Amino acid sequence: MTISTGQAVAIGIVYYLGNIGTPWLSLLGSISVVYKPLVAGTLVGFILGDPVQGCIIGAAINLPYVAFISAGGTAPQDPGLAGTVGTAWALAAGVSPAAAVTIALPLGLLGTMIWVLHMTLDVTFVHMADKAAERGDLDKICFLHVVPPQLLMFFLCVVPAAVATYFGSEAVQGIIANLTGTPLHILEVIGGLLPALGIAMNLRAIGRPGTLLFFMAGFVFVVYLKLPVIAVAVLGAVIAYFYTVLSNQPPAEIAGAAGVADDDEEDF
Amino acid sequence: MAEKRKKLSKGDIVRAFWRWTFFSHANYNYERLEATGLVFAYKHIIKKLYGDDEEAYIAAIKRHMQFFNTEPHVGGIIPGIVLAMEEERANGEPVTDEAINGVKTGLMGPFAGIGDTLWQGTLTPILLAFGISIGSQGNLLGPLVYTLLMFGIMFPVAYLCWMKGYELGKDGIEKILGGNQIKMIITGASCMGAIVLGALSAQFVSVKSPAVIVLGALQMEVQTAVFDKLFLGILPLAVTLLTLYMLKNRQMKATTVMGILIIIGAVGGALGIL
Repeated sequence: MTISTGQAVAIGIVYYLGNIGTPWLSLLGSISVVYKPLVAGTLVGFILGDPVQGCIIGAAINLPYVAFISAGGTAPQDPGLAGTVGTAWALAAGVSPAAAVTIALPLGLLGTMIWVLHMTLDVTFVHMADKAAERGDLDKICFLHVVPPQLLMFFLCVVPAAVATYFGSEAVQGIIANLTGTPLHILEVIGGLLPALGIAMNLRAIGRPGTLLFFMAGFVFVVYLKLPVIAVAVLGAVIAYFYTVLSNQPPAEIAGAAGVADDDEEDF
Repeated sequence: MAEKRKKLSKGDIVRAFWRWTFFSHANYNYERLEATGLVFAYKHIIKKLYGDDEEAYIAAIKRHMQFFNTEPHVGGIIPGIVLAMEEERANGEPVTDEAINGVKTGLMGPFAGIGDTLWQGTLTPILLAFGISIGSQGNLLGPLVYTLLMFGIMFPVAYLCWMKGYELGKDGIEKILGGNQIKMIITGASCMGAIVLGALSAQFVSVKSPAVIVLGALQMEVQTAVFDKLFLGILPLAVTLLTLYMLKNRQMKATTVMGILIIIGAVGGALGIL
């Protein structure tokens, strides 16, 4: 499959729409919807004329980013670029979903450069807004909040993604053909390790007493009891309710349970 | 001082909510994060409350140009509270700059914690797990249902938090800061979040060893004969805990940790032990 210039630009625009903070679909519509390879891959599939295959590949590429978290201004991976350009490459080269994950991984790493660049350059607009604030020019601040940063973001997203899609897809076919045996295996191993980062970042963000004990409980529910995640979530809500109610009692009543809540954070 | 009481209508509050929901991160940056997002959301509010007093008008703008960063949906309760405080202040009540800044800086951390745990740490992976399992069969309902559930759950949550914040702000901030309701919500959210993350770690972190130990005529597969006997999923568990250790105890940057994970994968994969 060859990708036309128009298609490449359209894929770049999908990447832009999913980038964290673009206002067109709300913040939620960016980071939680179009940024996810499951959705981005399907949209790319529509652009390239094969939404079903795009959906399958997007779903596969999404796996390493299932617990992706962006908090406190950081984004350690870029599922958006992996989901858009990665799916386009995979469709163009006609590779299996498993191989798609591995060609998307480097994209997810490279994309973080775009994030750092826009987070840094956007500081300029805040300083301009400071000057407008001195004059009480609220309309100017609102303009500076939306128009210049979004033009910049559009440029930073669409150009690299479209170029990578257009010129990369042919190169990738050659690379994939050579990417067998150990190199492919290594990329698969890395793909299996990466969800740990999102999960650990979430755990760190929680950072409360007992976190690791609850984490272990959830882990055992799945590996030994073979429960699906949704069942664990319901169980988790029940446990959380009782834990909260019990730990909120006056100290005398929970003397026996106090040790459980205190002794865990030291380990990790 | 004001002869007529300035009142924010429900429409004003709702309008600020939508401006926030769509534009909170439009100029997200390393220095002030969501600061201009908040000013953007408050535009019509500031004009209505302080439009007749230039000094107070500029002061209000500058007040919200300060660093602000929280989870924007559940954490939307904070701008909601602040709306009520600004309304009081504009009517000459003794609401100081310190009180407003105190509410913002004091609550943004805790609510970012609750919000991110529930939204990015719990709800999103659950919905994704669901959407991916359907989508990987080539069924377009996977991404569609995922998207509808995400909007259908998070928009009402965000709206309720914002409106509740405004209501709480009118009751007085002592009530918000004094009670232990926030503490209980954090405790509950953290507990549930950690359990779900444990389940996700078991399901999505995939590490296994293809290594085979040969002792004379005896061949032993390391994964099934050793690791699975010790504890099912011991390798994914170890990798997750190691990652957490590097992030939390060694205070490493997320990008550094990812580099280490890549090296582990590359070396382990090349040597045939992973």
